[in-house]
Amino acid sequence: MATEILSAPTKTEEAPTQGQARQKLEFRIGNEAAALAACDVGYHVMGYFPITPSTEVAENLSKMQAEGKHDIVLVAGDGEHGAAGICYGAALGGGRVLNATSSQGVLYALEQLPVQAGTRVPMVLNIAARAVSGPLDIRGDHSDIYYTLNTGWIILCARDPQAVYDMNFAAVKIGEHADVCLPVIVVYDGFFTSHQKRRIQVFDDPEALRGFLGTRPDLPTPLDTEHPATFGAYMNDPDLINNKVQLSQAMQAARRVIPEVFAELEALTGRSYPVMDAYRMEDAEEAVVLLNSAAETAKEAADELRAKGRKVGVLSPNVLRPFPAEEFREQLRGVKAVTIGDRADSYGAGGGNLSLEVRAAIQEDPANDTRVISRIYGLGGKDFYAADALAFFDLAGQVAASGKVAEPFAYHGATPGKPGRGARPGLPPIRAEEVSQPMAHVKRNVSTGRLDVELEPLWKMTAVPKRVSPGHGACPGCGAFPTLHQVYNALQGDVVVLFQTGCAMVVTTGYPNTAHRINYIHNLFQNGAATLSGLVEMYHERMRRGEVPESKDITFVMISGDGGMDIGMGPAIGAAIRNHRMMILEYDNQGYMNTGAQLSYSTPLGHRTATSEVGKKLPGKRYHHKDTAQIFAACHLPYVFTASEGYPEDLMRKVAKAQFYAKNEGLVYGKILSYCPLNWKVADDAGQPVLQAAIDSCFFPLYEIEHGHTTLTYDPDASDRRHPVSDWLGLMGKTKHLLKPDNAEIVAGIQAETDRRWARIKALHEHPLL
Amino acid sequence: MNRAVRLPHTDRFFEARFESIGGLGAHAAGQVLATAAVLNLGLNGAHFSSYGSEKKGSLVRSFVRLGPGEQPIRTSTPVEAPDAVIVFHAVLLGNPGTFAGMRKDGVFIYNAQAGTIPAELAALPKTVRVVRVDALGIAVEENSRPNAVLLGTLCSQFPFLDAEVILAALCAEFAGKHPEAVAHNERAFRRGATEFEAIENVGRAEGDLPIAKPEPEWGYETQPAGGLLPAPGNMAWNDLSASRTGWLPVLHGDKCIHCGVCDLVCPDMCLVWGDGKEGGKFERELMGVDYRYCKGCLRCIESCPTGALTKDAETPGLADRLRVRLFPELIS
Repeated sequence: MATEILSAPTKTEEAPTQGQARQKLEFRIGNEAAALAACDVGYHVMGYFPITPSTEVAENLSKMQAEGKHDIVLVAGDGEHGAAGICYGAALGGGRVLNATSSQGVLYALEQLPVQAGTRVPMVLNIAARAVSGPLDIRGDHSDIYYTLNTGWIILCARDPQAVYDMNFAAVKIGEHADVCLPVIVVYDGFFTSHQKRRIQVFDDPEALRGFLGTRPDLPTPLDTEHPATFGAYMNDPDLINNKVQLSQAMQAARRVIPEVFAELEALTGRSYPVMDAYRMEDAEEAVVLLNSAAETAKEAADELRAKGRKVGVLSPNVLRPFPAEEFREQLRGVKAVTIGDRADSYGAGGGNLSLEVRAAIQEDPANDTRVISRIYGLGGKDFYAADALAFFDLAGQVAASGKVAEPFAYHGATPGKPGRGARPGLPPIRAEEVSQPMAHVKRNVSTGRLDVELEPLWKMTAVPKRVSPGHGACPGCGAFPTLHQVYNALQGDVVVLFQTGCAMVVTTGYPNTAHRINYIHNLFQNGAATLSGLVEMYHERMRRGEVPESKDITFVMISGDGGMDIGMGPAIGAAIRNHRMMILEYDNQGYMNTGAQLSYSTPLGHRTATSEVGKKLPGKRYHHKDTAQIFAACHLPYVFTASEGYPEDLMRKVAKAQFYAKNEGLVYGKILSYCPLNWKVADDAGQPVLQAAIDSCFFPLYEIEHGHTTLTYDPDASDRRHPVSDWLGLMGKTKHLLKPDNAEIVAGIQAETDRRWARIKALHEHPLL
Repeated sequence: MNRAVRLPHTDRFFEARFESIGGLGAHAAGQVLATAAVLNLGLNGAHFSSYGSEKKGSLVRSFVRLGPGEQPIRTSTPVEAPDAVIVFHAVLLGNPGTFAGMRKDGVFIYNAQAGTIPAELAALPKTVRVVRVDALGIAVEENSRPNAVLLGTLCSQFPFLDAEVILAALCAEFAGKHPEAVAHNERAFRRGATEFEAIENVGRAEGDLPIAKPEPEWGYETQPAGGLLPAPGNMAWNDLSASRTGWLPVLHGDKCIHCGVCDLVCPDMCLVWGDGKEGGKFERELMGVDYRYCKGCLRCIESCPTGALTKDAETPGLADRLRVRLFPELIS
C-alpha cells in the first residue's frame, strides 16, 4: 500500500473530554483492569484462591499492595470454597468485598453463591470465564458462568478490558442499591480478555470516584452487637418461597437500577453501556447473538457484510442477570433470522443457555416471527475468527431467505477427524518381570516391629524401566521428575497412580500425548484422595468377588503438589482417617507453581511469591509454613515420612517402606521437598546445594513416623553440618530480600520457628513412646 | 507533543508475530513494543501471547496488532497473516506454522549465527524481506537477552516503530526491578538495530502464504470416548532440543564409574544405560545422552562425583553427533 496516514496524537491530548471525571490512558490486560478497579474502589477484604486465568487479579493487587498503593486485606483461601466463605463472612461484616475466580473455582464455590444471594449480602466477584473440567482445559469458554445463572447473583458482562474496569464500579453500586442488595458477578472472557493488553481509560480523579461510589450502606451485620440478630435462620416451607419472592423482586428492581447506574457512570467517564449492546441493528434482517469478546469479532464481520449491502447486526447483552428479555424482543422484532452462538452447551437441551433464553423471550411476543438457529462454538478456548462470524451470518441469511431452519441446533467448528490419523503410538508396555526385581528389600525387625530396608546399589536401578517416559514438558531442572523417578525406582510391581492437578499432571498429559507408561488417573486437586480411595475399595471388593484375579498385586499411589494438599486437605484427611491401602505423596516446592508461583500454605514465612510480593510495604509471606506431615501424623497412620529428592537413598528407603505399609496396613503420607528453579529463582542445576541447605538448616527435617514412633533419618546436629537458615535463604532469588538488614526480624522469625519445630521432632525422636 | 506516525497500511492493522520458546522473552518483547506504540506513539494496539500450561522451554507465540489511534480494535484472535514474523530460535524454522500467513510485503527476522542459510527459508514468499541477526550471540556478549536484540532489529525494519521510543519503553521495563540491566539491554538493542544481515533471494513462494488451519490428530468421529488416551508414553515422540539455551552435558566415558547418581537427578529421563560389556568391570554402563529429550538443565553434571559429565557449549550439529538413542527401534 502506497498511502500512509497520520495517527492520533499522543496520550496527553488523547485524554477524553466527554466524561466529567479526569482520566488517564493505560495499556492493560483484563485482569489488570479488574485489579486497578479494585484498588480504586478500595475494598476492605479480598478472599481468593488462585486459578487460571483469573489469578493475576490477586497477583496485581499483591504487587500494588507491596508498593503501598492500597490497603485491601488479601486473604488466600484454602480453595475456592474456602475463599467464598471468607468473602461471605467479610461481606457480612459490613465492608466492601471482592473475589476473582474461574472454571472449577466457580463450581467449587458454587454452593456458597445462592447462600450469599439468598441472605442478601452484596459483594463483587470477577469471573475470567474458562471451560470446566473434564477433561481439564484451561482456556476460555462460558461453561463456568452458565452454572451461576441460577444463583441469584446479578451478572454483568465485560467484553474488553475497558469494560472490565468500568463494570467493576457499576457492580459495587448496583449490588449495594437499597432496592437490590445482591452480590454481583462481572464476567469477562478468560485469555481473550483476561490476558489481552488493550488501551483503557482509568480514573485519575479519586474525588469524582468517591462521589460515585459513596460508602457501603449500613446493612445488618453481626459486628453490630447493639442490635443482636440471627444471620441465616433455618427456614422450611411455608417461608422459603417468600424469601425467594423477595430475591426475585430484587432482580426486578435491578432492571431499573442497572441503567440508572450505567448512566451515572457514563456521565463520569463518557462511556456508555446499554443493557443490550445492539450493533447496526436499526434495520437488520439477519443477526447474530454472542456474549462478550466473540461479539466484538462479529462486529467486524457485520461491517464487512454491511459494506456489501447486507442488513445485518450483532446483539450482545451487557447484563445477563436479570436477563434482558424485553430488550431481545425489541431488537429481534424485525429480524427474519438470528444465529445464537453459545460458548457452552446445556447438553441435551438443544441449545446453550443464552440460546434457550432468547428463544423463550421472543416466543412471548406475538408480533415476533424470527427464525432461530442455535450453535455451540469456541469451546475450551477455540478461537472465534471473523470467518466464523461470517459463517453465522450466512446461516442466518440462508434461513431468512428460505424461511426454514434445516438444522436448529449444531456444534460449529468441531473436527470430525480422519481415519488413519490419531495420536502417535505408545511405547511398548512394561512387562511385569521388568519391574518385579526388587530394588529395595524390606524386612520387619522382630525386636522393634518396624521395617528395615536394604537398597540395591544405585547403578542397578538404572535397569528399572522408567514408568514415566521422556518427552514431558516440565521446565529444565524441575524437581518433580527426579522425585517421581526415585519413587518409581523403589516401587515394585504394578502401580496405579492418580495425579492431582499440578505441574506434574499438566506437563505429562497434554492431549493427545501422555508421558505415563502405567495406568494414570487425573482428578481435580480438591478430590484426588477420595477418588483414589474409591478405586482402592473397588479393587479389593472386585477381588473378593473373584472379578479381579488374586494374583494381581497393585500398589496405589497419589501424587500431589503442596497446592493440592491445601485445597485437597479435607478429602486427604478423610482418606487417612478411613485408612485405605494407598499412599499420598506430596512433592512440595513451596508454592502454586503450575499457576505461576502463588503462595501455598507450605510457602515459608517471608518468601516471595506472586501473591506475597515484596516491596516497601510487604516483605513476602506473612505466616509460617504448614506442617503437613504432623497433620497426617495426628491421623495415626501406619507410616508418615518426610524426604527430599536431594537425598535419593533416604527417599527410596522410605518409599519402599511406604509400599509395604500401603499394601498391608493402610494409608501412608509422604512429604517430599522438591526443587523448582524457575520460581525459587535459582540456576537450573543448583537443586542439590539448595535442597541440602534447606535440610542442613533443619528447616526441612528428614524423619519418619512408623506406627507412631518418630525417627530422625538425618540429624544435621549429629553430623555437625547444621547451619543457620540464612545460609539457605541466601541461595535463592525468592528469598534474597530477607538478608537485607530491614528484614532481620523475619529471618529471626524463620530461625525461631525452625528451631522450635526441630526441637519438637528431636524430642519425639528421643522419646520411646513417641 | 504531536508525533506523526506513519503505519505501513491504511486498510488494515499492522500485525506482528513473535515465534519463540518459553524463557527467551518473546512475551516481554511484544509487550514492550505494543505498550510503547499505544502510550508513546499514539497508536491503538493489542498484545497477547498464546498461553497454555506450557512451561519454560516450550513453544510460545506472542502477537502484536497496531492501528491508528482513532480506530477501535475489536478482534481478540491470534495474528494469522503477519506483516512481521520474528523468530527467536532457529529450531523454530523447522515448524511450518512459523511461516504461516506471511504477507508477501512483510519482513521475516530470525535469530541465527552467520553461515549457511537454512533451507526452510525457501518456503517464504519471494518478495519478503529476510533478515538474520545473531541475537543470542549479541545477548550473551552484552549480558542481555535475545528479545532486546530482536526488538532493535524489528525497529530498524519499520520506520514507524520509532527506535528511541521503543528503546525507552524497553529500558522502563527494567528500570524498576533490574536497574543494572538497562545499559546492557540498550547496547543489545542498538546492536540489533545495526548488526543484522539482509538475506537476498531465499524465498521461493508466490504471493502471501496461506493461513495455517491446524487440525487435531483425532476428531469427534475418531477420538476415544471420554478423553481416554490409550497410547502409554507416546510423549517420547516429542523433541525438546529447543529447550536448551546454549549448553549441553557431554559424557566422557573414560572418567565414568557408572555409579547411577546422575540418573536419579535427571528430570528428563534422557540418560541412556545398557548392560556392561562382556567381561568388563561394570554390570551397567552409562552409554550417553539422548539429546532429543535433554533440556540442558545440567543437574547431571553437578551430581557427577568424577567429572565424567562436562558442560559444553552447544555448537551446531554437536548434539546430533554425540546423541545416543533411548528408543533406537522406534524413534529416530
